[in-house]
Amino acid sequence: MPALAHQPGRDARLPSIGAAPPFALTTADGGRLALADLRGKVVAVTFIYATCTDTCPLLTAKLAALGTRMGKDFGAKVAFVAITIDPERDTPDVLRSYAQAHGARGAGWAFLTGTPAEIKDVAQRYGVFARKTDRGDVDHTFLTSLVDRDGALRVQYMGVRFDPDEMLRDLRSLLREGGR
Amino acid sequence: MITRRDLLRGVAGTVGLLGWPSGPASGEPPPETTRLRLFRSPSICVAPQYIVGELLRAEGFSDIEYVKTTSAGISKILASGEVDVSLYFVAPLVIRLDAGDPVTVLGGVHPGCFELFGTDRVRVTRDLKGKTVAITEMGQSAHVFLASMLAHVGLDPNKDVTFVEHPAAECKRLLAEGKVDAYLAFPPESQELRARKVGHVVVNSTVDRPWSQYFCCMATGNREFVRKHPIATKRALRAILKAADICALEPELAARALVDGGFTPRYDYALQTMKDVPYNKWRVYDPEDSVRFYALRLREAGMIKSAPQRLIAQGTDWRFLNELKKELKG
Repeated sequence: MPALAHQPGRDARLPSIGAAPPFALTTADGGRLALADLRGKVVAVTFIYATCTDTCPLLTAKLAALGTRMGKDFGAKVAFVAITIDPERDTPDVLRSYAQAHGARGAGWAFLTGTPAEIKDVAQRYGVFARKTDRGDVDHTFLTSLVDRDGALRVQYMGVRFDPDEMLRDLRSLLREGGR
Repeated sequence: MITRRDLLRGVAGTVGLLGWPSGPASGEPPPETTRLRLFRSPSICVAPQYIVGELLRAEGFSDIEYVKTTSAGISKILASGEVDVSLYFVAPLVIRLDAGDPVTVLGGVHPGCFELFGTDRVRVTRDLKGKTVAITEMGQSAHVFLASMLAHVGLDPNKDVTFVEHPAAECKRLLAEGKVDAYLAFPPESQELRARKVGHVVVNSTVDRPWSQYFCCMATGNREFVRKHPIATKRALRAILKAADICALEPELAARALVDGGFTPRYDYALQTMKDVPYNKWRVYDPEDSVRFYALRLREAGMIKSAPQRLIAQGTDWRFLNELKKELKG
């Protein structure tokens, strides 16, 4: 079996895909947060929903562990943003409970909701598929996007089985780049 | 004839794809065209290009069109420019490259999806010697894949096997009645034949070597489209590869999208196809190996004249794929 073809050199710069799609949504505390507010930080943007019982908690736990491994940089220089794709049910209170239940605590985290139209728009612009099932669940694709300090989309991770060490390397690589 | 060097020079000269600014705030420009045409045929192993609509729109394509065709017609509409970028089976693709079709292979999307079904008279591929195999059309994908398989076990597809042409439904009926000895099926036909317990699987290219080690479907562009629209090509390929990941990671979602989009009627067969086909290999396998492997087999079968390296040099461009492997991890 060949080695993973995407395995980059440790020192390789991540590509720049383009400006990360902007958003301004409601936080779990009821305030507003825009991607532009996080300029100067490296940001991981992902999509979850609170009543998801299988994959979303795995993804959240994986990112929470990464946040811990980022140490003092997490919050100060790195932010994780989880946007619900079930805005009808995921009120700020629901998202706050979800965050606490899955160990996503601290200043580095933001859980965001919005109107269905806002959420649909941001999900589409990030390239996330989502549809409500007859059971009331949300079928959606898992996509975590890393945004650099200048707001450029640099790399995307599909699914939840990505190598956390690789994402940690990418986060640190973006931190080392600094910003303009 | 446009050589690979011409193509590289043209692409790089047009938009500086290889050297666009590397500063962190830089990024891709929007696609040069908002129109993208893909083919639509009965086979659903090319599911990524059927569920890709929203992802293409996110990449800046607003006018997405599916051109209906048969499996045999894909090469014609790719070469003529009636479709811009699509998945295409590697074996017939190699034949078309040898014939000089103006197409450019951009990357592999998934290995194996075809399955060889046989009656009790056929236990292994070599048993096909002297037998009758049903196909829908000479030169069509199944015929070319079969020729590759026969050549691989030392049989001459032109002499050792009798091919009979029938519509797909008739082929399956003849196999069920034992009136032909084998039939090469593509999803969802293979899922249907297994569910109906028609014949038995002689070769399953998703698991049986060497077929499982090489791509079956490869992303391919009309050469002129790729030359004129390198940004659009890369964006289209990115969307298709993301869609392949969705097929692998969220098979239920992908199967539902296939049915809702009218690409296939049966959710159960669609879901089985999403679970059967290894859509998660596009980062792993080397697409050049796949072109080389099938070129060698088809040369053994006397179906192409060109050496593999010539076809690779003239008909492939992996730069888009190599960039996307760095951007899209999983």
